[in-house]
Amino acid sequence: MLTYLPKRLGQGLLTVFLTVSVVFLLIRLAPGDPAAAFAGPLATSEELAAVREQFGLDAPIFQQYLIFIGQLFTGNLGTSYSFQAPAMTVVMERLPYTLTLATSSILLAALVAIPLGMWMARRADTGGEVGVNVLTVAGQSMPDFWTGIMLLTAFSVVLPIFPASGFTTWGGLVLPTITVAILQVALISRMVRREMVNNFNSPYLTIARSRGVSERLLTWRYALGNAGIPVFTALGTRFAAMLNGVVVVEVVFGWPGVGSLIVRALETRDYPLIQATVLITALLAVAVQLLIDLAYPLLDPRVRLGKAASV
Amino acid sequence: MSTATHITQAPATSSAPSAVTAKALKASASARRARSAKIKLWAGAILTLLVFLPIVLANFLPLADPNAQNLGARRLPPLSDGYLFGTDQLGRDLLSRILFGGQTSLMIGVLAVVVSGAIGVILGSIAGFYGRWADVLISRVLEAQMSLPLLMMLLLVVALFGPSIPVITGVIAIAQWPEVARLTRSLVLVEREKPYVDAAKTLGLHKISILIKHVIPNVFKQASLVILLLLAQAVLLESALSFLGAGPQRPFATWGRLISDGQDYITTSWWMVTLPGLVIVALVVGVNLLGDALRDGRPRRKNRKEA
Amino acid sequence: MTASFPGHDMSRRQLLRLAGAAGLFAGIGLSASACAGPTGLPGEDTLTLALNRSLVSLDNKLNQFDAAVTVQRAVREGLTAIGPEITPIPMLAESFVMLSPTRWKATLRKGVTYSDGRPVEIKDVSTALQMYREVQGSFVAGFFPEFPRITALDERSFYLDSKAPIPILDALMALILITPAADNKPEELQTGVGTGPYTVESFNRGAGTYQLLRNETYWGTAPAVQRVNVRFLPEESSRVIALRSGEVDVIDSISPNSMEQLSGLPGVTIETASSLRMNQIFYNFRKPSSHPLSDVRVREALSFAIDGQALVHDVLIDSVEQAQGVTPASLFGHAKTGDFVYDPAKAKSLLKDLGVSDLKLKIIWETGEFPSDTAIMEALVQMFWDIGVRTELQQFEPGGNILQWRQGKEGDWDLLGNGFSSPTGLAITMLQGMYAGTPEKEKTRDTYQGYVNKAVAAKIGLAAAEVDEAKREVYLKDAQQGAWDTWPCAWAFVPKSILARRNRVQTLSLSAANSYPLSHIGLEA
Repeated sequence: MLTYLPKRLGQGLLTVFLTVSVVFLLIRLAPGDPAAAFAGPLATSEELAAVREQFGLDAPIFQQYLIFIGQLFTGNLGTSYSFQAPAMTVVMERLPYTLTLATSSILLAALVAIPLGMWMARRADTGGEVGVNVLTVAGQSMPDFWTGIMLLTAFSVVLPIFPASGFTTWGGLVLPTITVAILQVALISRMVRREMVNNFNSPYLTIARSRGVSERLLTWRYALGNAGIPVFTALGTRFAAMLNGVVVVEVVFGWPGVGSLIVRALETRDYPLIQATVLITALLAVAVQLLIDLAYPLLDPRVRLGKAASV
Repeated sequence: MSTATHITQAPATSSAPSAVTAKALKASASARRARSAKIKLWAGAILTLLVFLPIVLANFLPLADPNAQNLGARRLPPLSDGYLFGTDQLGRDLLSRILFGGQTSLMIGVLAVVVSGAIGVILGSIAGFYGRWADVLISRVLEAQMSLPLLMMLLLVVALFGPSIPVITGVIAIAQWPEVARLTRSLVLVEREKPYVDAAKTLGLHKISILIKHVIPNVFKQASLVILLLLAQAVLLESALSFLGAGPQRPFATWGRLISDGQDYITTSWWMVTLPGLVIVALVVGVNLLGDALRDGRPRRKNRKEA
Repeated sequence: MTASFPGHDMSRRQLLRLAGAAGLFAGIGLSASACAGPTGLPGEDTLTLALNRSLVSLDNKLNQFDAAVTVQRAVREGLTAIGPEITPIPMLAESFVMLSPTRWKATLRKGVTYSDGRPVEIKDVSTALQMYREVQGSFVAGFFPEFPRITALDERSFYLDSKAPIPILDALMALILITPAADNKPEELQTGVGTGPYTVESFNRGAGTYQLLRNETYWGTAPAVQRVNVRFLPEESSRVIALRSGEVDVIDSISPNSMEQLSGLPGVTIETASSLRMNQIFYNFRKPSSHPLSDVRVREALSFAIDGQALVHDVLIDSVEQAQGVTPASLFGHAKTGDFVYDPAKAKSLLKDLGVSDLKLKIIWETGEFPSDTAIMEALVQMFWDIGVRTELQQFEPGGNILQWRQGKEGDWDLLGNGFSSPTGLAITMLQGMYAGTPEKEKTRDTYQGYVNKAVAAKIGLAAAEVDEAKREVYLKDAQQGAWDTWPCAWAFVPKSILARRNRVQTLSLSAANSYPLSHIGLEA
């Protein structure tokens, strides 16, 4: 445990560092000029050069990179060109929105997917289950932007129940959450089903059943309980992925999160903002992943026993 | 007792002690599984062909030119004279645009799967077979890619190299290779412990030729089962990219762009978003069901990784 | 076996706890930054606007898109403003007059204070001019041939002197927003006070939202509406839906499609006004002289291929007017110089007579450059095809390198879809920006798509320096005719500014500058 944590932490930080470095390089290689996006179409070459100098973009890339690494240590990634404010501040202002959407989506997904998966597992391959199963396949086959537009049309245009865009009321959370959750429900419920069906077919369950353990206990404790770890992992991984911004859904619903922020930052070639967004989201994703790993010993009795023996 | 009666009674009498009736057999888990796999197989095949065939045959069908405009017949609803799926904002036949757009989308999808499959199988088997630093390196890259803001990186790369079909194909392949690589790696890890690999080593075969001639062919079949699932994902990813503006140049239609163009008209012309979306869903559901059914139909090892 | 069960109970509890913690975290995060109101519908005394671009500040040193003007001018004001007739009207200056070609005299309005009670002083004006000059990448600086010097005469009167005549200084000064000198910096101001009819109560830069509150000490007529909420909804379709449902009261700068979708809906009214913008399909003037496009006759012939009426009527839903010159008719000093005519047969025969065959054109533009841009470009493909000219489209996403392309540094192109507006409301500003290119400027590729024409540039220069209005008008007309005769674009149109409002929003007067004074608006209960 004592060596595990620092090692894992180090690996995580290395991953984050490599990620931001790749992004740093990619945005500078990509065509498009932040100065042109900043100064507008009427700017003269002279003005553009002045802006480039002001942004520090006239220095060689390697030198810019060294400055960037220095910034990483201070946590100040420079001033966003388009917001004219510290890039980190801008990202932090947007982050709560993405966290809210990701949390509500993963909660909704878990609340729907786990019971649904259990039902599917118990009814595996019966007529009704095959139908539901096909529906979950459909759930994972719908492009999320299309689902979003369809929900928008249905519940903001035809039946104007929910706001179309943005987050000024809690009602605004409903449609984006559902849009994001549909895919997650499909994936997680199928996973719960698969794990539980495997557990139902496993020898220990047959033995437990032959010893007279009730079906209810079999389902809840044995089959579902042992499916807990992979399902928990999947939920965590999905959550971590959402922290990178549910780009398309945020764009469709005008959600002021980091996903729509990054699209905008790309459109204005706002280098500090792109870098800050990637840094924060990658850090968060790695942290969530680390938490999942650390939770394993608590969840898996074998890991727990091993730990108990050593204490 | 005559032998004749014995024989005729045989099924009944022999079934009684084991309590297994034909009906019970039919209701058994494995029979049910086989049946649901069959249902999925058929449903998947029908849905896939329903979309796939018209797309492939689009050039031979009596369709309007997908780019021919008729400004006098803008945004006609479906089923209006001669336009089965209606027309778009420039009076172009929507059905024709969906089918010809599908050719682009499908071609990108198939190519991307081939490329990502090749990269994934090669790197995955190297990681699994050689282990040590190769494994560490490849696994680390895999992990790093999982934590990247994928869609953003793809948008960046498309901006970097321009939105052409080869670039978009390459980008989707980059997004997908980790899945193949991980699967291949885990399969190879099992395979390399098998006696025949030791035997080949003892016989003095070079490691590379063992890998290429024996190990990869043995895992290839299992690894190839994910191809259909990858194809489904590739089609979705391509549509998301062109929805965000990173699609092949106009005036060629792609599915994502049809939807993003139609988005401006949702309050008046529902079909411009709904129909292209339904076609994508039909194809992807079909392909996913096929993939599911093929995998479930396998006797063992069905519980490895899934998308 | 049972020994493992506590572990599972633990896991479920753990799961719940984690989930609870995550929810709490997100909740806290939000209450700290969101400004969620209890209901989706705006209150009785609150006006809600939805802009299509995020208002990152209420300053205009660095950028100023149309809709921002409305909000910026509600908080900060200039010495003058561009009035409804596209002429300068006095604001903080009660008078602004030209004494000689290089000297103007202004007098500050008496007793005007900022919303925090500080008086407006002359040094606020001189500091403002200095800050606008010092800031890098300024939107405003480009319009000033030079920044005038300020000499105070007394408490309220001052001279503005320049080396060369600036006959349009009264219009230009509308672009300079006045802030207390002590608070002004050579950068986009994020906070601070102004003299306008509203003050900023709160804002969230991340979400692009602003809450404005009535300035009770405003020097002019007090606004009728107490609160204004400014929201940012980037997707046009979302804004249309939000207006339909009454979630927002006003959406501006909408596309012709949205106008078509909204017109006729109960509770919604469309407002249109002419605009200060010209959208063109401009030729590339950096072609070698041997290239067909270098021949003015070819450029003219190609323009016959374009069915302007169909584009205006079918693609742009009559929300634009085909141009009748090189500037929009709404600009001060505009002159009608000709018409675009649709005659594909003539186009074909002219091209044939000129010996041009097998012409292939590449059309480039940036997404969102003008309304229905992609539809227009796709329609052009068909129209050129009909006269036997093949075309290739290349669309650039915002942030891409269209600038390098336009400057001819990345690749070759033939036609560019581009818009140009004149925020001063003057034709001369547009002429100078587009047609006054010189060989020196072309060395750094700073001319408008390579347009260098000595004769035209000389005529524009003559008009720009002329102080006498009658003479200036003649020179201006001459310059515009000269530019038109070189057939700089295959087609051009003047969009209308379109805005949609809920019917409860009263007395909204949309100007050609695509903005409207917030202080005039009233809300019906």
